[in-house]
Formats: sequence, C-alpha cells, structure tokens
Amino acid sequence: MGVVILLVMAAGVAAMLSRKLPTAFALVLLAVVIAFVAGAPLTGKGSVLDTVLQEGAPALAATMIAILLGSWLGKLLEETGIAGTLVRKIVEFGGDRPVFVALGVLGVSALVGTVTGSAPAAMLAGLIGIPAMIAVGIPKVTAAGTILMGIAVGIPFELPLWQFFSTALELPVETVRGFMVKLFPFALVAALAYVLVESRRRGVEHAWSLRSVDGPPRAESRRKRLGDAPWYALLTPVVPLVLALGFELAIIPSLLAGVLFALFTTTRPREMNKRLLRTLYGGFEVAAPPLTLFVAIGILLAAVKLPGAVEALEPLVKAVSPQNAVVFVLVFTLLVPLCLYRGPLNVFGLGAGIAGVLIATGIYPATAVLGMATSYNQVFGVADPTSTQTVWSAQYAGVSPQQVMVRTLPYVWAVALGGLCVTAATYL
Amino acid sequence: MTASHDLDLAVRLLAGTPTHEDRDPLTLRQWALAAEEFGAGLTPPPTRARVVERDDGLAAGLLARYRSRPPVVELYVDTIERAELLVGERGWRHWFPAGSVRAAALAHEEAHAWLDHPPVRRAFKRALGHTALRLGRRRLYGHVAGADELAAHAYARVACGLGRSPLLLTEALAAAAQTDGSEK
Repeated sequence: MGVVILLVMAAGVAAMLSRKLPTAFALVLLAVVIAFVAGAPLTGKGSVLDTVLQEGAPALAATMIAILLGSWLGKLLEETGIAGTLVRKIVEFGGDRPVFVALGVLGVSALVGTVTGSAPAAMLAGLIGIPAMIAVGIPKVTAAGTILMGIAVGIPFELPLWQFFSTALELPVETVRGFMVKLFPFALVAALAYVLVESRRRGVEHAWSLRSVDGPPRAESRRKRLGDAPWYALLTPVVPLVLALGFELAIIPSLLAGVLFALFTTTRPREMNKRLLRTLYGGFEVAAPPLTLFVAIGILLAAVKLPGAVEALEPLVKAVSPQNAVVFVLVFTLLVPLCLYRGPLNVFGLGAGIAGVLIATGIYPATAVLGMATSYNQVFGVADPTSTQTVWSAQYAGVSPQQVMVRTLPYVWAVALGGLCVTAATYL
Repeated sequence: MTASHDLDLAVRLLAGTPTHEDRDPLTLRQWALAAEEFGAGLTPPPTRARVVERDDGLAAGLLARYRSRPPVVELYVDTIERAELLVGERGWRHWFPAGSVRAAALAHEEAHAWLDHPPVRRAFKRALGHTALRLGRRRLYGHVAGADELAAHAYARVACGLGRSPLLLTEALAAAAQTDGSEK
C-alpha cells in the first residue's frame, strides 16, 4: 500500500512539473487519492469527506489570516510609497558605488521579506529596486538575485511563515521562532556574500540602450503625487518584527500594528478609512494564490496523517531515512535540488506532505522536520525557476529565471547546509 | 531648436530612470544640463577594454555595452548598421558622418569606464549639485541615477564631432524598432 501511495505522489509531482495541473489542484487531488488508497471511508471519522476535505481545508486558517495581513501591509507599503522611498534614498546616498546600492536594496528586500513573501515581496522591493540597480551599473542577473537573496534574509522573520510551520508541524510558535533565529545568520551571510562576491566578479555594466528614451513620461501615479514617505514611516516593516521578536507579541496583532503604523504615519485622518479598505481588498488579490495553496496543503496534510496512510508509509520511509546526524546532513544536503522545479521536497507543495509523513510516522521529531523544511525553503524561495518571485524578478530584470537559479543556487545551497547542520546538532 | 530637442531627450531619459518618478521637471532639466556640460568636458584616457562585436543588438535593444570585469566593450553591429541606415534615410548625414555611430559607441563606453573612477565620480556629483543631506554648512551630494548616461552621450557627441546628441539616434532607433516589430 505504501508503494502505491508513493507512486501516487510521484504522479502528482509529474503533474505539477509538467504543468498539467496547477500545484494547488494537484495537491487536493493527491490528498483525495491518498486517502482512498489508505482505506479511508467516504464519511465519518478519519474519512475522505469529513476529515481530509472538511477538516483539512481550514487547518491552516491562522496562516491564511497572517498571509492576508502581510499582503495588506505590503499593499500599504506600496501605496504609501514607503518601499519606493527606501530604494530612492539608497540610490541617492550610495548610487555612485553600485555595491552600496545593492547592499541597500538587499536590506530593503530583507525588510519587505519579513512582512510578506513570494512575488508581492519581490515586486515591492524590485519594482524600483531592480531598475535602480541596473541604472547604477549592476548587471541584470546580479540585480534580480539581490532582490531574491534579500527576501531570503527576511524569510526567517516572515511572521506568516512562522504561523505556517507552527500550524502545519504542530509546533509552538516559540519553537519555530527559535529555529528561525538560528537560520537567519546563514541567510544573512550568504546574501552579503552574494552581493559582494558577484559585484566583485561581474563588476558594473552600462549599456547604450534603445529603450532609454522611448515613449513620453508616464502619467502621474498616485505615489508620484504623494512624493516621498516621511522618514518615520520607513520604520513600518520593522514594527511587526520588533513586536513579535522583541516583545514576543502574537503574530496577528504584530502584523495589525504594522498596518496601523503605516496608516497613521502616512495618511491624513479623513483618508484613512478609504485607504484601509482599498489596500485590504488589494491585499486579498495579492494573497489569493498563497491562500489557495494553503487550503490545498491543509487538505494534503490531513490525508497523509490518516492512520491508514501512516501505517502504510512508515516502514518505507523509515528504511530510507538516515538516523545518523552526519549522514542526515549529507543526504538531505544532496537532495536540495529536489525542492526546485516544484519538486517533491518543495515545502509549499508535496514537501509539506512528506514533512507530515515524517512527523506522523515518528521517524524524525517535528523540530528536525522543521529544520529540514525551513532549510529547503531558503533554497526554494530564491533559486526555484518556477517560483513566482524568481520568475517575476528575473523577467523584470530582463534575464531568464534559469540564469538567476544558476547564479544564486550555490549560495542558498550553503544556507541549506548550514540549516541542516544546526538541525542535526540540535534536534537529532 | 535642435539643442532644445536634445535637452528634451536628456530630460526624458532622466524622467524615465527609476528614482526620479516624483522629480520636478525643472530639477531634471538642471541636472540634464549639468550632466551634459560635465560629459562634454571629459578627457578620458583611451580605454584598455577589449572590443567585441556582436550581432544581437536589435533583439536586445542595445547599441553598445561596457562591462568592467573584465573590461569589455561590446558593439552591437546590427544596431550600428541600422543606425547608419536611419541616418541616411532621415537626411542626418551632416550631423552624423559615415562611420560616426561606431565611433560614438566606442566613445560613449569609454566615458562610462572613466566615470567609474572614484575621483571622477566625486567631481561629477559636485557638478550635478544634488544635495541629499545638509548638516549645518556641510552638505552631502546625492547620486542622480541616469546622469552618467547623459554625460557619456555628451562626451561621445563632442569627441566624435557630432552635430546632435546621440540620444537623437537612440530615439530614432527605438521608433524604428517599434515599427519593425509591428510590421512583423
């Protein structure tokens, strides 16, 4: 039976890789098939309809709310010009030294990455950040990679992600936070190394481009009319972080505080209601893809945790899962590429199911699975040529996602290695 | 009239450069003037960069490119040829003599290589006069994104004795590329 479930999972991966099915749909279909194969009844306790679909769909509700609030805050950062102002100031102060600009944009991306993830984060930092870097001479691939590596620095402090791992792996938020704090230095060092090494290796480039004077100036945008955001509003991205990390406030109130801080520091009282509603609805739009994915992941997790599935998979997974700490690090570091191209170790795909299996079968403690999943997420978040933030950043910079993957993969692979070493040393 | 159009093009280039979204057009004009003046007065030594010819410029929307590591100037010969044709078609030969596009491209990238030198960069910032921060009598000059491009074009115009700014060519090439694209 376990072999059949693994074959079903492999078919699911193939469907996702070949883009026959969108990831979320494939995961739900996988969950239903796995539940039937595991011998779950149609209704009742431990059933396909009541347990997998009904209870699984809202299982990650707290994560979904956090994602929505992060997207709302992201929309506010965009509409109030906070993100744009940060990048503009960096270019003004350090523009004659491209490496300073890249480091500054890296910092902005990291801040944005703590608030929201995926393509919206890349867009927030990259819409002005990427062309600004290119304008000061940073090569296009380096510019796109800088945005992604920056977001990856913020990922360990992305509050919605804490909520996701806490709910999905059934761990207290404090435990997730504790590991993320340990993962952060690896992400930071790798990102700094990326900017410094790549800047040194590639230098600067300046092009006589035919697009430099095409078209008349664009119509004034809302942000344009508003101008720069005030300096104190630029602290917005750190507000939720300080509250959640420094004062150990819960995630949702921390994000809400960030929303209110952005609002009060940038908006006139009579415009507040309108802006709040407009950006909230905009946030729903931005959050729609991850919300869909989290519904599907909740369903898949419910399916792989069914007693029949656990019983069937336990001997198989146990046989191939290393218990020795050194072998654990070696094997899972070598498997890093399996989280690329929507592969089976992608945490926001089948990887979530595999994590569920590893915990449900008791092969690894949940904390070790947390270490693995978050280490892989550092790779996926930067180098996966099918992830929305990578595709967006690369295309916006005018290069291919594969070019960005090749350039960033060594750095994020090292981050994963660091994360796995910490996991093995701490939890195995 | 022609000088005014050249300056308009320079302002358009600056306005289209990220970070200048909310700039006052008058400020952009002042910066464009300062950048052109600075570029026209540049005296770069001959560049040691290797010159490489490529033929995929029209597809990439490029006429030339300078890379600092290793120092390379890439000349996109298909775009240069197209530019020479356009000069003939539009009757601009008195502004851009035969072969001047290639020479301008080389001069343009030579200027970029020179503008990368720290003392030149500092002098350029002072010439632009954009104050990013003022503390009492001290002031910190800010970088103006896109201004180096204008300086490089101005240097190319002066060094090659062109009658108009190379930005005019850029504009014409962009328009031609658009027409070519829509015809396909």
